Amino acid sequence: MTATTGRTPTLGAAVEIAGLVLRSLVTRGRLIALGGLGLLVAGLGATARAADDQVDAATDLIAGLGLSVVAPVATLVVASAALGDLRDDKTLVYLWLRPISRLSIALGAVMASLAVALPLVVVPIFVSAVLSGVGDLLAASLLAATMAVVAYTGLFVAVGMRLSRPFLWGLVYILAWEGFIALAGDGTARISIRSYTWSILARATGTDLRLADRSAAASVLVPTLILVAGTALTTWWLNHREID
Amino acid sequence: MPMVRFSGVSKFFGELVAVSDVSFDVDEGVTALLGPNGAGKSTILRLLCGQARPSKGKLWVLGQDPRADPLVARQIGVAPQQETLFEVITALEFVRLAARLHGLDDPTGRAEAAIREVDLDLGDSRVVGTYSKGMRQRVKLAQAIVHDPPVIVLDEPLTGLDPRQRLHMIELFHRLGAQGRCVIVSSHVLEEVERFGSRVIVVSKGRMAAEGDFREIRVLMDDRPHEIRLRADDPRRLAVGLLERSLVGSVTLEDGSVVVETDDVRAFSRAVAPLAVDLDVELQELVPLNDDLESVFRYLVGER
Repeated sequence: MTATTGRTPTLGAAVEIAGLVLRSLVTRGRLIALGGLGLLVAGLGATARAADDQVDAATDLIAGLGLSVVAPVATLVVASAALGDLRDDKTLVYLWLRPISRLSIALGAVMASLAVALPLVVVPIFVSAVLSGVGDLLAASLLAATMAVVAYTGLFVAVGMRLSRPFLWGLVYILAWEGFIALAGDGTARISIRSYTWSILARATGTDLRLADRSAAASVLVPTLILVAGTALTTWWLNHREID
Repeated sequence: MPMVRFSGVSKFFGELVAVSDVSFDVDEGVTALLGPNGAGKSTILRLLCGQARPSKGKLWVLGQDPRADPLVARQIGVAPQQETLFEVITALEFVRLAARLHGLDDPTGRAEAAIREVDLDLGDSRVVGTYSKGMRQRVKLAQAIVHDPPVIVLDEPLTGLDPRQRLHMIELFHRLGAQGRCVIVSSHVLEEVERFGSRVIVVSKGRMAAEGDFREIRVLMDDRPHEIRLRADDPRRLAVGLLERSLVGSVTLEDGSVVVETDDVRAFSRAVAPLAVDLDVELQELVPLNDDLESVFRYLVGER
């Protein structure tokens, strides 16, 4: 009989769990729906070339559709399911009952979500920037889309762990908070992910985007902190909540 | 200290009392946790595995609190009740993942051994999502034993298995128990439990109803008052005959039937047909009224 003690290394366990979650997340339905959304934003990039102010039109498109719709919705679909699906179908117990740190479960879910969401979000937004013909947008769109996925992943993995119907709650957050309440003033904008990702675009192109005046450092640091906080919160819940 | 000890454990979910003041010790060998659906068996097993914390009382697995110390998981193998598994991977990948997360050397070899142990086909390349209920049960068992744990917890593990597979599984439980492991198997099927082993813990409505050797509990179950409805062409004459021969404790006439209560159902069963012949009464139907498992458990917890 086994009588060993000790714990499987966190990173090794996280990689194993990420592989499993990744395979669960990549379904044909998700790829078609989110790929279609990405194709839409990528294709619309070319329409900016015909605008009077090409830079403003391209920036508005990437900020308004890419960073405000495609990035949060695609990341929500993926990240909320990473642990949410396991919790709902009660298979989380097969990970939770192993002698591994709870952090490795949270990290595995985050890694898998990033692996799926980053290409689905960053590639079409970058292609949109390329097709718009605005050179200043290339690096900025790449960075802004990456930071958007990073922040939303931290947030929605935690939401998936904690709440039933995480997709619904995530949509409410995107529409009500990010799309409405956060636009009320500078105070609320500071706790809106969109404000930080838009600031990256505004700074690169000189375009005047509403409430997008965060510093360059804050635009990278705050989304990263949201990811760290979301992972920590998910770990805490895994440690303290009862598991079915 | 025994391998598993529950001491005055209760579990509440708001107003709902799922488990109430349960105390027992379990050591090596096979122990059956018997009770009807909703009796609290799964909650007891979840408490044992540390998935839930007790609202009152304390419990120990190998001297440790399983909720406080996640490393106790290394010593426990669990097959939960739910059917869902990781649907997109094969059985071998599933069990190998368990082996890797337990930090075992040669996870593939250990997974293959566990899969062979539960009589699954190692060459099956289908994903678990395509598996039947019985095959899923065996995958669950394989992942529970892959790390060779001293404590094995199996929640309704025979559900969905065919008779041959059941026999194989029961043999495996006995083999694991004989190796000095503590094997706890829950079930709501009395006949199933009879074959698990001699030690039984009976729970009903979250409370301990009985504990001990299965044969003693079986006698207790058989000796309880049985209610039986008899339909006959002359129920009154049959009722008088039953009372005259002291075959029943009480008799009630109801809508052309006789409802009797007897403490010795076997003696009653042997005597009732010859009596009907003697009395020239046509016995048309004989229906036990409280022979379902729920009634048996209610009797054991004193709620007749």
